[in-house]
Amino acid sequence: MTGKTSTGMRKLRIVLWALVVVAAAGAGFLAYGPKPTGVSEVEAIYAKPFQLVDQNGAAVTEASFLGKPSAWFYGFTHCPDVCPTALAEMSALLEELGPDADKLNVVFVSVDPERDTPEIMKEYVEYFDDRITGLTGDLAQISTMAKDRYIFFEKEPMEGGDYLMGHQASIQLVTADGRFFGTLATEEGFDTRMAKLRRLIGQG
Amino acid sequence: MQKLILALAIAVLTAPAQAHDFTSGSIFIEHPMIQEAPPNAPVLGGYVTIHNNGDVPERLVGIESEAAEKVELHQSVVTDGIARMEPLAEGMEIPAGATVSLGDDGTHAMFIKPDRRYEAGDEVAATLIFENAGPVEVVFNVEERSAKAAPNHEGHGK
Repeated sequence: MTGKTSTGMRKLRIVLWALVVVAAAGAGFLAYGPKPTGVSEVEAIYAKPFQLVDQNGAAVTEASFLGKPSAWFYGFTHCPDVCPTALAEMSALLEELGPDADKLNVVFVSVDPERDTPEIMKEYVEYFDDRITGLTGDLAQISTMAKDRYIFFEKEPMEGGDYLMGHQASIQLVTADGRFFGTLATEEGFDTRMAKLRRLIGQG
Repeated sequence: MQKLILALAIAVLTAPAQAHDFTSGSIFIEHPMIQEAPPNAPVLGGYVTIHNNGDVPERLVGIESEAAEKVELHQSVVTDGIARMEPLAEGMEIPAGATVSLGDDGTHAMFIKPDRRYEAGDEVAATLIFENAGPVEVVFNVEERSAKAAPNHEGHGK
């Protein structure tokens, strides 16, 4: 029996020491590790100020999209594959929502404002669904918005001087007061994305 | 029941568009297709399935078309939530006896700066360039984007 007890004690000691190591690592991480870059569910990062232009050339700010839940995605019109697919899928979701689609702001932000003028955005976005707002504007403003929202994008040069954009693939769901609610991703399937949208709308 | 009839009607109506193929030696090219894009879209995405019925590997090294300034083979990849596009520098390999699609794993042909607007129902002539089989003339059918026409659930009528 003593054997078992000492084994038990040793296990306990190991566990306790392991906890000490974990705690120390945690403290060290908090003190010296990278500052959190994940999206906080508490902070209203989607209420941070910005000034952009919609597809009709009208100036919009963060206030234009608060008061209703919203879905945000990022892309560019020189994108043959991922962006049109995302827009078409969003259009299908809005179609399925029916009248409830009015309870939601859906916003497609160009990460290529140098080429995507409001006129280009209008024709592009409205081809898919005129309930989708297309935003473009000053590159600095887009960059600020992206930074505030932990959205990544960068220019990727191609041969011949052209370029493509690498960008955040998922769609961000945002509460009416500008807090992060969740994401939609293509690989989740239509029904899952639909359920998330309904949940977002349901909680206002 | 109505939904079923509608689904059947759609299946029958869209079937002829699917039966669309080209052959060159042991290469069987199935249903080259371009997805319709917004009127002002500066790029169009093209897709095709290639069967290599031969016993040597084949490689699609490029696509040419009068309808676009140039055509490039690309792959969209999503890594850590970031979508990027990379050129398929080596083209697309079709191993002996295998079937490979432009469209698998984010691969696609990017028709850059089309010469005009192409709408569903239009056809785009192009040449697929193979390492061994050489050039093969094909026609890409322009089709409505599938996510819009038929999301992956029933009861969506438009």
